[in-house]
Amino acid sequence: MNLQILLLIGLLGASALAILAKDLLKSAISLAVASLFLGIIFFRMGAPYAGVFEISVVAGLITVLFMLTIALTKQGDDVRESKLVKTVFPLFFIVFALIDAFVMKGIFSKIPTLEAAAEAGTFGDVLWKERSFDLIGQLAVILAGVFAVLALFRKRDHHE
Amino acid sequence: MNNAWVLYVVFAAGLFFLGLYCLLTMRNLIKLFIGFEVIGKGVSLVLLATGWARQSIFLAQSLVVTYIVIEVSLVATALAVIINLYRTNQSLDIRKLTRLRG
Repeated sequence: MNLQILLLIGLLGASALAILAKDLLKSAISLAVASLFLGIIFFRMGAPYAGVFEISVVAGLITVLFMLTIALTKQGDDVRESKLVKTVFPLFFIVFALIDAFVMKGIFSKIPTLEAAAEAGTFGDVLWKERSFDLIGQLAVILAGVFAVLALFRKRDHHE
Repeated sequence: MNNAWVLYVVFAAGLFFLGLYCLLTMRNLIKLFIGFEVIGKGVSLVLLATGWARQSIFLAQSLVVTYIVIEVSLVATALAVIINLYRTNQSLDIRKLTRLRG
């Protein structure tokens, strides 16, 4: 459990770095590191498939997409962030943590716990038999994404 | 629900807060999208933690895998939109998008 807490702290730290870093490239790399931590956490929770997807797709593919976008929009880097961003952050975080602690303490004792029953079969059984409609949805979303990207870039060529 | 689940939810809430903070304060379009990604990480962490605590890890895993596939499609589309906006405005500043009126 101690290692898991360290990984969670690493995940939170890498995510904070991704948001607070000035350089966009450093932000993208920090986001990939956060994904790596999350993948290891998933793996240690007994979800190897989710871990593999998180590391290969989110830490790999999405980081490459981010870097490509950063490279293509190089001159737009100099967006001036509000000066308050870094000074207000610690205060905001403390207020959030306090509210979070009180609200969760109040809510968690009232959540009715449903009976937990161990699942039968394997991950493949659950994904292909119980959630088979999700797979059609995934296919539709991927196709929609592909056509959206094609449409966005084709339209631009047409005007030029 | 056990203590470990509460720990995961607290960390997921922290991630959600970080992403929300980014969305509320930052001005760079790519940075805003990174904030959105961080919120997504918090959501997938809490999904899997709940599945783990309730001994239905396979179902939680299939939901997380579905979410990751949707996320990839969303990121590809959103980044294409950002590149197009950059070509039009020559800037990634969210405040300059107000020129798109009417």
